[in-house]
Amino acid sequence: MRIATPLLTLFRVLVYGFLLAPIVIVVLASLNAGNFLTFPPQGLSLRWFWTFLQNDVFINAIVYSAVLATAATSVSLVLGTMAALYFVRHAGREAEAVRIGILLPLILPEILTAIALLFFFYEIGIGTSYKIALFTGHVLMTLPFVFLNVTTALQGRDDSIELAARTLGASRYTAFRRITLPLISPGLATGGVFAFIISFDTFGISFILKGTGSAPLPIQLYDYLRFNFTPEAAAVSTVSILLTLLLVTAADLLFGRD
Amino acid sequence: MRRLRASILILPSAALIFLFIVLPYVNVLVMSFRAPADGQPYGEGFSLQGYVQFFSESYYALSLPQSLLLGALTTALCLILAYPVALHIATASKRWRGILYGIVLSPLLVGIVVRSYGWTILLGNSGVINSTLREMGLITRPLPLMYNNFGVVLALAHVFLPFMVLPLLSSLQAMDPAVQQAARSLGAGRLTIFRRITLPISMPGIQSGCILVFVLAISSYVTPALVGGMRVKTTTLLVVDALIDQFQWPFGSAMALTLAVSAGIVVLVFARLTRIKWS
Repeated sequence: MRIATPLLTLFRVLVYGFLLAPIVIVVLASLNAGNFLTFPPQGLSLRWFWTFLQNDVFINAIVYSAVLATAATSVSLVLGTMAALYFVRHAGREAEAVRIGILLPLILPEILTAIALLFFFYEIGIGTSYKIALFTGHVLMTLPFVFLNVTTALQGRDDSIELAARTLGASRYTAFRRITLPLISPGLATGGVFAFIISFDTFGISFILKGTGSAPLPIQLYDYLRFNFTPEAAAVSTVSILLTLLLVTAADLLFGRD
Repeated sequence: MRRLRASILILPSAALIFLFIVLPYVNVLVMSFRAPADGQPYGEGFSLQGYVQFFSESYYALSLPQSLLLGALTTALCLILAYPVALHIATASKRWRGILYGIVLSPLLVGIVVRSYGWTILLGNSGVINSTLREMGLITRPLPLMYNNFGVVLALAHVFLPFMVLPLLSSLQAMDPAVQQAARSLGAGRLTIFRRITLPISMPGIQSGCILVFVLAISSYVTPALVGGMRVKTTTLLVVDALIDQFQWPFGSAMALTLAVSAGIVVLVFARLTRIKWS
């Protein structure tokens, strides 16, 4: 038993390393001065970040993804919060059905959902035009994350405060806006950040439903990676990792830990 | 009246799920039985040709066991890697728990394309591992780490590890340390405690983690595409190929549904086996 403990510790350290390795390697690769992804790197340089900044394709893709994620997250925040309010406060016997129904996009294979949506939008004559299918897909994928986080926030709160406000003459709307909303804001923030990141990074939905014209970042990156092996892709990936970290840190500073 | 007004809250989400999940999935089911046609996605009438084509051509049929094998190997690797980590986090001090939790969740914050790309940099023929081994003089020819099941399983296990750790963690955190102490004071060894107490308690976590990872792994697209370099033919890759590139909707739907039903059977068998054995 004495020998097992250090072995187990080593195993755990290896697993933590395994989790971090591909992410660390992408960041390191982006600093490579050479023309190809060689190891050891041929010197350090930021030249690939410079190349990336001058590449309209990737810059546009980042902007496109950010706009799409913001729009999808906004809709999900409203719908998800409403659904969570219903689930926690009003749902009776149908509660479990409501929960499973809203979590369906998370439980079902994303690529199959994307295909199902593609057929459906073609059948009703819209297809992938106007980005409606893409947007709907992103709302579906982000909704469960808002719902889960707001549900948790609501379950941890005391209903009696809102009830007290109502007895003191506050309207249903005022009581919600002044009492409940501030109380669940950490849950909303976490849900929103999660939703944004999921939308920003999701692949299957965007890949199948992107249509023609500009595409979200993961798709642009995937297309690039199939034929190119320069460290520019690593630079793009690093920027995407940094943007995510920035978002998470900002949300954490603004709303604190739950 | 109160309930009626409250139901307005759930209406938009319910409509969204019904219109854009339930109806489209029913449509896929119907689509898989439609007749194929040249020059358009599907023709008039119904047929079983999509299913017949899938099972009669070995190029397509063999992708099914390949997918299920990848899923099973990924699930097994995830379980082996995740269990000690989940156990560690469940028993760690509060400060460490936050940090370790962050490490486990960190892959989720990085897009699946970026993560798969990271693995191609690590595993490629002139990648980090092969270059390092060659520099050290240990190998002369690159080891085949990518474009095969090994690389794809490794990368998939990385991508889905958080989905194994989280359910395990929530089942392990429900464990009362007093039970273990009681067992120990009654003379049970560490192995006995693990086998008789920890393992049974974590069984629900093992079950949901395994099912989640298995389903995610067999339906993943990017990781097998990038790390497998299209040389590891999974059913999901062929489905997307049939639908997007060849425009064969009934055939693609039949393949996707066959995969989904096969996965469902595996999950049911797994659930049955684990229940009989442990509780």
